[in-house]
Amino acid sequence: MASLEKKVISAAIISLIIGIGIGYAIAYYTIPRPKPVVTLTVIGPWSGVEMEYFMKVLKAYEREHPNIKIKYIAIRAEDLAAIAPPQFAAGKTPGDVLITPWGWWVASMGEKGHLVDLSELVDKEEFVPGIFDPVTRNDKVYGLPFTAWAKPGFWHRKSFFEKYGLKVPETWEEFKSLLKKIKEEIGITPIASGDGVGWPLSDTSEHFIITFGGPELQLKLIKGEVKWTDPEVRKIFEEYLVPLLKAGYFSEPKDWTAQVDLWWKGKYALYFMGTWITGMVPDPGDLGVFTLPGCKGIVMGTDYISVSKYTPNLEEALKLARWLATEGQRIHVGTKAGKFATWLKVELEEHWEPMRPVYKALMTGEVAVVPDLDDAVGGKWQTTFWDQLKLLWTNPDKLDEVLSTLQRVYEEQAKGK
Amino acid sequence: MKDVLEKASFLIPALLLIFTFVIYPTIATILLSFNINLIPGVNLVEGSTSLENYVKVLTSEEFINPTGLRTSSFPMGAIVHNVIWILIHLPATTILGLLLAVFLQNIKGSSIIRSMIFLGMVIPMVVGALMIAFSFNKDMGIVPSIFKCLGILSLYKTWTSYPDTALLSLIIGSIWLWTGFSVTLYSAGLASIPKELIEAAKIDGAPFRVILFKIIIPLLRPVTVTVVAMTILWVLKIFDIVYVATRGGPGGASMVMALLMWDYFARMNAYTLSATIATLLTIIVLPVVILWIRYATRGE
Repeated sequence: MASLEKKVISAAIISLIIGIGIGYAIAYYTIPRPKPVVTLTVIGPWSGVEMEYFMKVLKAYEREHPNIKIKYIAIRAEDLAAIAPPQFAAGKTPGDVLITPWGWWVASMGEKGHLVDLSELVDKEEFVPGIFDPVTRNDKVYGLPFTAWAKPGFWHRKSFFEKYGLKVPETWEEFKSLLKKIKEEIGITPIASGDGVGWPLSDTSEHFIITFGGPELQLKLIKGEVKWTDPEVRKIFEEYLVPLLKAGYFSEPKDWTAQVDLWWKGKYALYFMGTWITGMVPDPGDLGVFTLPGCKGIVMGTDYISVSKYTPNLEEALKLARWLATEGQRIHVGTKAGKFATWLKVELEEHWEPMRPVYKALMTGEVAVVPDLDDAVGGKWQTTFWDQLKLLWTNPDKLDEVLSTLQRVYEEQAKGK
Repeated sequence: MKDVLEKASFLIPALLLIFTFVIYPTIATILLSFNINLIPGVNLVEGSTSLENYVKVLTSEEFINPTGLRTSSFPMGAIVHNVIWILIHLPATTILGLLLAVFLQNIKGSSIIRSMIFLGMVIPMVVGALMIAFSFNKDMGIVPSIFKCLGILSLYKTWTSYPDTALLSLIIGSIWLWTGFSVTLYSAGLASIPKELIEAAKIDGAPFRVILFKIIIPLLRPVTVTVVAMTILWVLKIFDIVYVATRGGPGGASMVMALLMWDYFARMNAYTLSATIATLLTIIVLPVVILWIRYATRGE
């Protein structure tokens, strides 16, 4: 009797185990399971408030894709260009998605086989014409454009101009008179000079080149079709920029973010800066901007999204890259980041209000869009350009030395020395 | 024999570590400078085996600038800047360290002053560099302000922004940062001098100058050798304060060897040129190290 009882119990247990097993197997193959969470590392150049605006974009993606977690690391373009290549050479990558304003660097890394060809990821016709040029090599596209910025001219506070009865200049003579009035009557240095690694001085210099040499001169300098020692180039520096430097109209170069604060507080009257400055001041409504009189072109640039060939999360990284280049732009231009869209499906009204006039002027062709000179040439020449301009700013008499150094380094770089 | 092998086996872990992390990278770097790549699976070399990297580096204006040397104006080239740095920094820190150590020896509360001097050695070099940049800034720096008060307006400027003062400002800053090291070493050396010697000299009526030059300085010779050797090594390798305060600018006026090496590596991804500078630096540093080790092992 006892033996029968044991057999029944054993049979019941075995049946139960088999039943659980079958049930689990059915559930395993029929019930949809949540996807495993993938953590993507995104490297971008933004920190501080700029990072806050970009984080809104990343958070939106995380909400849309619950299986994706994004870890953002802020690394400046120059640091990424130092960190990533040795890792690439060893078959590794510092991040899944890399964002940098240096198109030349993206193209260079892509050409060396470290980045994924993104040619088929988006429809290039949907973007601002020419935006893919800096990241294209041999018909392969190694970067997708994110939101763009422009460097429209000298920013000023409208309230400051009203207080001192200053007017936006319409001729070069009026511009010089304005600077003289600010220096002699108000008693402050008229123009703030930004520094850091040096790019703010290059932006200012490029604006002089575009104004007095035309947008085509900037393009010729990028391609090396005109030498830096050419009389046309020298004349622009000698007749327009150097006299202002010698007259003390520019401040000594100082950290560009600190200069924003000082300029806003009235230590300086003007500051040549990109559109992102709108997101860095307490009251963007008080901002005014003007170009040098007669300027026919504005420098525009973008941050490029690339995906390393060595990422372990290739599929997810590509999806994120495509989303950032398209829908992500809608979110970013709506923030106070001071950027505008390069994806043409984003409407004017979706932009943050202070950015709409700049965006409209650029998109309707009121002014020519010109690539950033130092970002386009890149390499050793870029840092040399920054450093030599720092020299020029404090020693305007060294103009010839500066121009010949720029030409020498350009030629060395072109020869691959 | 077995005993010897057993003893030798204890050395194996240390030797393995030294070989992996010191000897192999050193040899790989030297070979890389000749375009020979020892690192498997990593493509760092583009040219063929030759001395071309040495020719490129030694003839580059960043390394030696003939125009700057001819006109005695900056930039003169990284190697010249390093030499200028040693010529100013070495005597300054050695003499300052010795004098401060001697004068602080018998002063009440000297340990507090010594600690304050040593602060320069304790703080991270990056912070020190920022402090140098601030100290020489026209708007907030103490140095330009002093010159303004003295009426020397040509020096009332941001020193790090001008080619004629950028390197000097870094050298002065580095003296401040490094003096703590020499003061500490000399203080320890002074403590080891028998007091009887100095007291006997005093009883014999020797003035302080004689005591300093005839007793203290000769007895502190081993310390001086260490201070000199360590200072030369530190200056030759100096990088962080230049990188943070001036980035070698303006116009290369404060470029030094270690920063040039970094530039080749990080800004240009020219790993072979970077390895060439590293090898040249090693060649320059090596005699100093050998002489110092020889002196130290002689037991003087």
